[in-house]
Amino acid sequence: MAKIAFVEASKQYKGASSPAVNAVTFDVPEGAICMLLGTSGSGKTTLLRMANRLIEPTGGAIFIDGTNILEENPIQLRRRIGYVIQQVGLFPHMTIAENIRVTAEIAGGWERNALNQRVDELLELVGLSPTEYRKRYPRQLSGGQQQRVGLARALATDPTIMLMDEPFGALDAITRARMQDELLRIQRGVRKTVLFVSHDVDEAFKLGDQIAVLNEGRLIQTGSPIELLTRPANDFVRQLVGADNTLRQLQYQPVTAALDHDAALTMEDNGETPTCDVHASLLDAMLLLLQTRSPALTIVDGTTALGPVTLASINREITAARNNQTEQPASITNA
Amino acid sequence: MQYLLSPYNYDLSDPESIPNLFFQHLWLVGLTMLISLIIAIPLGLLAARYKGLYTPLIAVADVLYTIPSIAMVAFLIAFTGLQLPTVLIPLILYTQLVLIRNIVAGINNIDPLLLEVGKGMGMNSFQLFLRVRLPLALPTIVAGIRIATVTTIGIASLASLVAQGGLGDLIFKNIANGQLDAVVAGAILLAALAVIVDLLLLGLQVALNRGRNAFAVS
Repeated sequence: MAKIAFVEASKQYKGASSPAVNAVTFDVPEGAICMLLGTSGSGKTTLLRMANRLIEPTGGAIFIDGTNILEENPIQLRRRIGYVIQQVGLFPHMTIAENIRVTAEIAGGWERNALNQRVDELLELVGLSPTEYRKRYPRQLSGGQQQRVGLARALATDPTIMLMDEPFGALDAITRARMQDELLRIQRGVRKTVLFVSHDVDEAFKLGDQIAVLNEGRLIQTGSPIELLTRPANDFVRQLVGADNTLRQLQYQPVTAALDHDAALTMEDNGETPTCDVHASLLDAMLLLLQTRSPALTIVDGTTALGPVTLASINREITAARNNQTEQPASITNA
Repeated sequence: MQYLLSPYNYDLSDPESIPNLFFQHLWLVGLTMLISLIIAIPLGLLAARYKGLYTPLIAVADVLYTIPSIAMVAFLIAFTGLQLPTVLIPLILYTQLVLIRNIVAGINNIDPLLLEVGKGMGMNSFQLFLRVRLPLALPTIVAGIRIATVTTIGIASLASLVAQGGLGDLIFKNIANGQLDAVVAGAILLAALAVIVDLLLLGLQVALNRGRNAFAVS
């Protein structure tokens, strides 16, 4: 069962000529990071804020764990969803510890001691030393540190769902990249279902298990980064994700795509062919081929050799992907 | 200066001694502020909640504030005589403008982002008020209380005119019989009281403004 399901979800503001969100339908599987990608005004933030009912949909339904949230008490709903925004919005009159505790306190059901321990745990999790930061005030922290606290605060009640609205948008490029890595590291441990608004394609590709492309309130396409790259639904998606960008293809296509199945049967392993992990990208494989000056690589999954990859097979895959774009894409929604 | 330093004037059994007049004054100011806040807080909260109420409420408070205090005391003598209410009523009416204005400003000038964040984490309106609005508004509210209290300390000397004592006695009673030393003593004590109370309330205001710029609120 999908963790979050939008069914014909719409938002029509009074007096607006067209809906801000127009009959959007898609599912987010449990434990996935789903990136809502689009230009400004595409309705991605509106869609996100409908999931915790900070914005009330005017049509359709939104299901979380199979329950229509529109039939739920919005206060109770928000207490079990983590919410992180670009401007962070830490309470200036509370210390860092108080800012993190407050989510758990209003949700209730936490003991004082358990809560103190939880605060320290969360500070450690987001990479801030509890002894150093617990008693500081938000304005004594840098933007990046504040957003770490924002993340810790949203995680305080251990919600299964996180809504993140361009959380790293206001940070400098280096801090942003670091925070993205941190988020992935944290996500490996806590496995939340995350809806993440972004207008940054690289961010969407880096973080997303799934990307939902929105334009003018409509959902254009959903799919994995690879699906978007190799089978963009239309020119808008192709331009947005840079499907013609060979480097990006190399970066995000798995090495297994270029596996030479015919050669696998004939090749004999003389022990001199370099190996490449099955999870590597085409780019990794290509660089390894160039560095080692070897004619082929052996793709290995643990100890099992899956087959060889050569520069020729990588080239064939990239060319094929480019030609594919002219064919009818397979995963179109609402296009 | 002699009047202030003479031990004779500190005899507690004499109702007109400096300590007795001082505490009488303090009591009058305290009572005024207590009743003023009991009136201003609900009015301020209502005006913050219902925007339409703000303008008429402030207009009334503003008109009352404009009437000279001595005129209002003189006017009230006709109704309440030489009694405590004659001085208490003007004092209370004077504080309302600054108190209500600061309560409303404090509560309504909160960064909407913070309210949004509170709402987003699942605060109900009561929690939002208690944990976000009120603590953020308190420094501004206390700034209002500070101004109102200091003003009240000055005007409360009019209590002497309606036989209600206080430090005003030192001034008004001694002007007539030419004891200028006592008049100056009254003036010094009044000024000192105002400055000390102002500093104490400023301290409270800064403490309440924790985490933010200590002098950000006026």
